[in-house]
Amino acid sequence: MSRTSHRLRYLRIAVAVVVLAGFTAAFSDFRNLLPAGLASGLGGTQLVPAFVALLTGSAFALGGVLVVLLTLLAGRVYCSALCPLGLLQDAISRLAALVRRRPPRLPPSRPLTWVRQVFLWGTVAGVLAGWGGLTLALLDPYSNFGRIAATLFRPLFTLANNSLVTVASAAGLPGINRIELHWAGPWLLLPPAAFLVVVAGMAALRGRLYCNTVCPVGTLLGFVANRALFRLKLDRSACTKCTECLRHCKAQCIDLRSGTIDASRCVACYNCISACDQGGIGHALAWNFAPAWSTPETQLVGDPLNPCRRSFLASAVGAMAAAVVPGKLARAAAATIEEIPFLVKAGQDSSAIAPPGASSVAQFLDRCTSCQLCLSACPTQVLQPALLEYGVVGLLKPRLEYATAFCNFDCVRCGEVCPTGAIGRLGPEEKQVVQIGIADFYRDRCIVVTNGTDCAACSEHCPTKAVSTEPYGANLRLPVMNRELCIGCGACEFACPTKPRKAIVVTGRREHGWARRQVEKKAVKPRRSDDFPF
Amino acid sequence: MNTRRDFIKTGLALGAGFSLVDLGGLFAAETPAVTGAVPPGTLPGGVSRPVLVAVRDSDRVTMLNQALEALGGIAAFVRPGQTVLIKPNMGWDVPPERGANTHPDVVARLVILCREAGAKSVSVFDNTCDQWERAYNHSGIAAAARAAGAVVVNGKDETLYRETAVPRGVKLQSAKIHSLVLDSDVFLNVPVLKHHSGALMTAAMKNLMGVIWDRRFYHRTDLHQCIADLLTLRQPTLNIIDAYHPMVRNGPRGRTAADLIELRTLLASTDIVAIDAAAAKLLGHQPADITHIRLAAGMNLGRMDLEQVDVRRFKLA
Repeated sequence: MSRTSHRLRYLRIAVAVVVLAGFTAAFSDFRNLLPAGLASGLGGTQLVPAFVALLTGSAFALGGVLVVLLTLLAGRVYCSALCPLGLLQDAISRLAALVRRRPPRLPPSRPLTWVRQVFLWGTVAGVLAGWGGLTLALLDPYSNFGRIAATLFRPLFTLANNSLVTVASAAGLPGINRIELHWAGPWLLLPPAAFLVVVAGMAALRGRLYCNTVCPVGTLLGFVANRALFRLKLDRSACTKCTECLRHCKAQCIDLRSGTIDASRCVACYNCISACDQGGIGHALAWNFAPAWSTPETQLVGDPLNPCRRSFLASAVGAMAAAVVPGKLARAAAATIEEIPFLVKAGQDSSAIAPPGASSVAQFLDRCTSCQLCLSACPTQVLQPALLEYGVVGLLKPRLEYATAFCNFDCVRCGEVCPTGAIGRLGPEEKQVVQIGIADFYRDRCIVVTNGTDCAACSEHCPTKAVSTEPYGANLRLPVMNRELCIGCGACEFACPTKPRKAIVVTGRREHGWARRQVEKKAVKPRRSDDFPF
Repeated sequence: MNTRRDFIKTGLALGAGFSLVDLGGLFAAETPAVTGAVPPGTLPGGVSRPVLVAVRDSDRVTMLNQALEALGGIAAFVRPGQTVLIKPNMGWDVPPERGANTHPDVVARLVILCREAGAKSVSVFDNTCDQWERAYNHSGIAAAARAAGAVVVNGKDETLYRETAVPRGVKLQSAKIHSLVLDSDVFLNVPVLKHHSGALMTAAMKNLMGVIWDRRFYHRTDLHQCIADLLTLRQPTLNIIDAYHPMVRNGPRGRTAADLIELRTLLASTDIVAIDAAAAKLLGHQPADITHIRLAAGMNLGRMDLEQVDVRRFKLA
């Protein structure tokens, strides 16, 4: 009679499927069919964005605190149920396993403690030194998933939709619509694609190797999990050393010789519980708040942070010093982050335009982890990932690109979905006066002047009438700019037909401002009579 | 509709509209040449004069019913089995009360009339200025047209546009034009009347910029001439202008409802130049002040001089 219990594993899989599907849908929602609450709700469960929101005070997000408490209770449940990058790896290793039929038996391995420490402390040091916007963006697993999904999945889903339209219209079925396909440029496509290839390779060959070596969230939660109230425990009296659990363990964290499970690397997938015919693995209440490594029999098990106190101190201090000192010096040398050459582009005006709600470019670059959820949610796709427009720290963070679209006047979706609060929530009324940039009109390039024909595409599109027209020449109308009313939405620049350079161009503001809201009296009828004028 | 009296009045007016149209439809189906009213384009006595119907002082649906009745009913334009395209102005992501788009009531009523006249299909689209789905939805037109039985087609699907030569165009010699314009049996042009910062006014002729793919070519080349040139390719079967509350400043998008005046007017004509000339006068312009009206009249695409037009006026209150 089998004593195997599949319950926990099935529960974990059910949650994971729902969560991964939710994230994939939120990041691939090319028609904005899903409520903004789904995206922001899912983003709010993520450790790094929630902590950024809480610590910067940009939003009251308890997601991070709850995740830590959950981990303190039952280990790294987060990694197997809530982290989209972890779930993506599970999906990839599952596919790889289908190809291989029977999973290979991975030998238990030693934790790569030094590597884990370097990534974790490097990230922490980066945050302390004021480079959080860069280090978190590079290493946050959720943001890495987001970039893969927004850059690769969204266009693929759009492509699938469009193929479906072709089939449906051939069959005479109208109703679904072809959506404009946006692929990011090669340099923007490359980083997430390369990251995906590396992570997919690691996942296919070694399960959760990435999570247990590179991922700072995995290491941090491993540190907490080592002190968890409930930990997985191997019943040595039941164990027949059949190694079936090793075959199903994603983390290579089970050591049958010593009969221990490394809680710092266990991602709580519960495959081992399910795999063991003898019912030899289960949760046990750990009464001591001591990490597993303090038991004498451990050889392969280790606290990611504390292999021994001396090396912990040495590595922590070393890594912190290496990252914090130059970072602090650099920031001290420059009064603000923008003044550091190369890393952030200099100048009064920003060459990249930050989304409405960002308040300022500097604050935005500090808070955004470039998860690109806003890019996916943007109905006009005016939000595009930055390459070096903000400088190196702004790599892959959203900016407004007016060559292909403009910011919709009544839309506040990017702020609604942003999980870190880097893009603050604005009401529609506020959004309509937030000045993210100002347009400049270049008269000598304007069609009305160069061609002597009417145009006013800029004024036509302008939602605030910062661009109006005045009589010009013989019965023509020439654009005229009122900077006070301009919000920098880019509608004018997008619509301007001049080539090669536009006659009206928006320059971003480093510190976002407020445009004046113009109030006009009710319009009067051109004629008093109520009769027909013809 | 605030009171029971209003409701009954509107209901009666609607009912009257329905019955007349239905009769006209039956009649036309059997003998298309003879309809209840004078066929558009001719007058008794054989003198060819385009008909322009102008209706005032009622709700949009009643005015539309009246205008169509005066033109011989919808059956004079839509025969059973025909495919119909309705091109409203729904270019902007603003609600109906802002007057930047054709009112959904007009579009919905027209869809119902076409369906009742036996149209095989009724399609609605616009190549919008704001993001298309937001404009379709917030204008109220997508929902109203669908509920009335129309197919709402994506105007931002480039594969639906066909590069087409415009042999008689002066500046516009070729354009990517929506296939529904090229292929539909009946083409109903249903704009809203507005001020336009570049063209001074936008009504029936300017509304047709929403059937071509590359709007920037117009703006870059010669806005007014291109607007006139497109008419050499295909003119709408019928033009209907919603001038219930025209926008008189800050057009064509408008900033607030304060940009509108209440005229409670609706125009209908098969002559696109004549209807725009009348619309210009509603806004206090002389037709010749609007360059594309003057150019189109010069190209004999319609009558700018309303003296040469058979204007039929109806004041419903």
